[in-house]
Amino acid sequence: MVVPTATAPLPAGPLTVPEMDAITADEVAIYDRQIRLWGMEAQARMRNSKILLIGMRAIANEIAKNLALAGIGSLTVLDPEVVTEDDLASQFFIQEEHIGMNRAEAAAPSIRKLNPRVTIHTDTDSPSSKPPTFFSQFDITIATELDLDALISINTSCRQCSRPFYSAASYGLYGYIFADLISHTFVIERDKSNIETRLAPETQTRKVISCRTKKEGDKVVEFVTKEEKYSSLADTVNCPIDPTWRPRKRRTVPAALPCIKALWEFIRTSPTHNYPTFSRTDLATFTRLATEAVANLDLPADMLKASFISTFVEGCTSELVPVAAILGGVLAQDVINVLGKREQPLQNFLVFDGEVNAGPVLSLHPEGIAKEENGNGNRAKNGEIETSTAEVVSLD
Amino acid sequence: MEEKQQTKPNPRDVGPRKALGSLHQRIKEARVLMVGAGGIGCELLKNLVLTGFGEIHIVDLDTIDLSNLNRQFLFGMQHIKKSKAMVAKETAGKFNPNVKLHAHHANIKDAEFNIKWYKGFNLVFNALDNLDARRHVNKMCLAADVPLVESGTTGFNGQVQVIKKGVTECYDCTPKPVPKSFPVCTIRSTPSQPIHCIVWAKSYLFTEIFGTSEDDSPEFDHTKDAENAQEIEALRRESQELKKIREQIGTDSFARSIFEKVFTRDIQRLCGMEDMWKRRKAPTALDYDTVETAAKGIPGHTANMDQKIWSLEENFVVFVDSLQRLSKRVQELHAEDGDKSILSFDKDDVDTLDFVAAAANLRSHVFGIELKSKFDIKQMAGNIIPAIATTNAITAGVCVLQAFKVLRQDLSSAQMVFLSRSSERVFSTEKLSAPNLSCDVCGVARATVEVDLSRATLDDLIEGYLKKGLGYGDEISILTDQLLYDPDFDDNVGNEFTSMGVEEGTFITVMDDNEEEGENGEILQPRVNLVLAVVNKEIEEDQDPIVPPEEGMVIPRKVKQVEAAPAPQEAHGAAAGAGMKRMHEDMADSNCGAKKRKLDDATAELSIKDGRRGKGKMEVVEVDDSGVIEID
Repeated sequence: MVVPTATAPLPAGPLTVPEMDAITADEVAIYDRQIRLWGMEAQARMRNSKILLIGMRAIANEIAKNLALAGIGSLTVLDPEVVTEDDLASQFFIQEEHIGMNRAEAAAPSIRKLNPRVTIHTDTDSPSSKPPTFFSQFDITIATELDLDALISINTSCRQCSRPFYSAASYGLYGYIFADLISHTFVIERDKSNIETRLAPETQTRKVISCRTKKEGDKVVEFVTKEEKYSSLADTVNCPIDPTWRPRKRRTVPAALPCIKALWEFIRTSPTHNYPTFSRTDLATFTRLATEAVANLDLPADMLKASFISTFVEGCTSELVPVAAILGGVLAQDVINVLGKREQPLQNFLVFDGEVNAGPVLSLHPEGIAKEENGNGNRAKNGEIETSTAEVVSLD
Repeated sequence: MEEKQQTKPNPRDVGPRKALGSLHQRIKEARVLMVGAGGIGCELLKNLVLTGFGEIHIVDLDTIDLSNLNRQFLFGMQHIKKSKAMVAKETAGKFNPNVKLHAHHANIKDAEFNIKWYKGFNLVFNALDNLDARRHVNKMCLAADVPLVESGTTGFNGQVQVIKKGVTECYDCTPKPVPKSFPVCTIRSTPSQPIHCIVWAKSYLFTEIFGTSEDDSPEFDHTKDAENAQEIEALRRESQELKKIREQIGTDSFARSIFEKVFTRDIQRLCGMEDMWKRRKAPTALDYDTVETAAKGIPGHTANMDQKIWSLEENFVVFVDSLQRLSKRVQELHAEDGDKSILSFDKDDVDTLDFVAAAANLRSHVFGIELKSKFDIKQMAGNIIPAIATTNAITAGVCVLQAFKVLRQDLSSAQMVFLSRSSERVFSTEKLSAPNLSCDVCGVARATVEVDLSRATLDDLIEGYLKKGLGYGDEISILTDQLLYDPDFDDNVGNEFTSMGVEEGTFITVMDDNEEEGENGEILQPRVNLVLAVVNKEIEEDQDPIVPPEEGMVIPRKVKQVEAAPAPQEAHGAAAGAGMKRMHEDMADSNCGAKKRKLDDATAELSIKDGRRGKGKMEVVEVDDSGVIEID
């Protein structure tokens, strides 16, 4: 009936949103059902956020819808391409009459209609033409359906200005989400357990940095501030699965993961930078790349079946709306959580297999991230993320 | 048509066909029903339309509200108060002109949506927000033998379940908790939590002043009345006194009369019950004049500050102000209809919410209980469940992926899917369980019975259809939503069905209590419950008014059981709020929620094996804007 956890106000002090930014009564009425979940402060933070969304296809439709409904401050949709007939099959912001228009510009009016409170900008430039400073104007950059080189380039730019980066794509029934939040601090609200919360590392990337308790009626609620450290996509892409995983657990990794990596490599190395076709030569090349990816990931060699490879390749250019809805929903929710500085964020590679409804989140990092984290913590500093982190820390 | 598409394929088909192969053709030919066009429904309809499901029927009786717009993206400001089904069809229709859409702005329980109608669908999707409608559609899908994809969300949590008669568990195979109720004395005499005072303000004070009597409220649990007979009698007198004050409505002294009754005199009486306060803190009565003096200068629009926890004086001001607003409305209504109208509490009706918030807080103050903001009281009084677009979007996506398996007729790979809040995975999945043999809903035999309702009597059913046709003995009970017949109650035997409220679409349950001896002297267990769906049919006068059962129709016998124990107590006792809370605690920040569920399931499976009803599985039910949340 009641969810006091979520609406319990965080303590006053530096966290309080300035008066001018406070949520109005109208906004409370519209956002009522979500404020009851993540609270007023998170809603206010979201309202002041600027998000960049690159590539306007099925997943991006879902992300734009979810972020606009949630009430972010502004959304910039960037896409240099034009709407084709294919786009109509998996997108709901556009119709026949938009064919030939720029994809971002075609979608923008429909996104605006979803929530007039959110400012929608469009940008028709190529993402590769953007200087690194371009990305500093956004709190978070989300790149969808791009090839690996483009993703790494944008990710690198985002890192230079200490901005979180997400990427995602769907390939038929399969897909992925990658997150590089550089360094992210968040609060978990939970009932105090009998076991004392220790200010110590929890995983190779996550540590508890502070903990505060509050009495609510008969029980004690704990606000645990944690920090996650991330790796760049360039560093992640060659990483094996966590070496501590036992063979049995390795077998639970979807075969879609090596196939996604093979697909990236295929596009990168093919002369036309295109997706593989269902031709014999393309299949053979793809199979070789996928087998290499299995080896690089340190996964069991027999996990990759020829039948799976051909299913994957045949469907990899299609976008299925339910798959896009799932990936776009998960990604948008993670962005919302990150903006609100609540909940555990994705760390750092989600593989989705829509055939069996599996969505494991793999933590892929180069060796020594834990060491680096404790040592020279200069991966990200002075960014806005760090500044606001300080606010959360001061809770304690 | 097909050939034409082969030569120049529709661009909308190219992608799905590559990824889904031959399944795509089945999708294009599928005729599906979506019940509910709310949070999950809007997302689901978008998915179904864009995936290219051939024909989609949408049923929803609701209209669009402002608080829907944060997630029900097919609706905009201009659609407020319009039919959800109609607007959803209009907006989503533009996503894909090749799909046939039909909208029904109606209650899914209406008679027009009968079993025959259900049989016309390949698949049904539940995108509902309440237990009652979910149960109804579950039952109809079982009766029509149509697969059902059931879904629900609450906050960050969501789940999807595929249900197929005879193959999987049905929605009711695991017990669902009943809504939380409170002992009368807790609400009326010894409140200890804010919710007690809110229920008091909403279901006692408000209804006694503006509605009908509180005795009907499902929130009151009368099971302990007998133990507290004296106090119950005193409370009854108090209610009657309050009813008398109701006659003063509109007079200048109305607010004072009510206030002094419930916050002064009633409290003083309670204070006199010394035994009651030996282990509790006794309440403190309020004095109208003292509070009124202290409240001087507080503006009436205090009520707009819904995030703030109001002081005693502020609550007093809102109490008096909202009482005046409501009194005025009631008087205006009565001027029109001669004192007939009543008001009922509605969380979105500001006057009623203000009154309940202020009255609840004044009572909390009296009993030394923590006061709450109007925002929080709205949630507790209105049973509001947090709801967000993303959870609904993800859940609706899963619904379609599960539907693919149903259309492929590959139920063995269909799953029960939960959104997981673990850091290691986004979903946790389970194989679908086999039907619970002792389920009251799917563990029954079902048949359609053709009846000439213009003349058939109960006796025709008992003697003709059941005894002669199916071999039933004397020890039977027959019921609809009321008892029609049992061996000790034969008053209705000569009555026509229509006089007992039986009509087209009514389900009649026949329970067999006969243990009889078989041909070889073995003991035969009673038959499983038989559920008959009534179909009206004109039958020639010279024939029996009920068409006899098909030749060879046999009602299976119950499996010999240790004891078909009723659902365990904790399933009923689980406080909605507490259950929800528990779930959040379990699932936040780890996957222990999933582990716990696994454990519960293991228990359930074990229990089914030895023939007893298992412990409930964790259930999420979206309750969007009304009703209660059920989580176990």
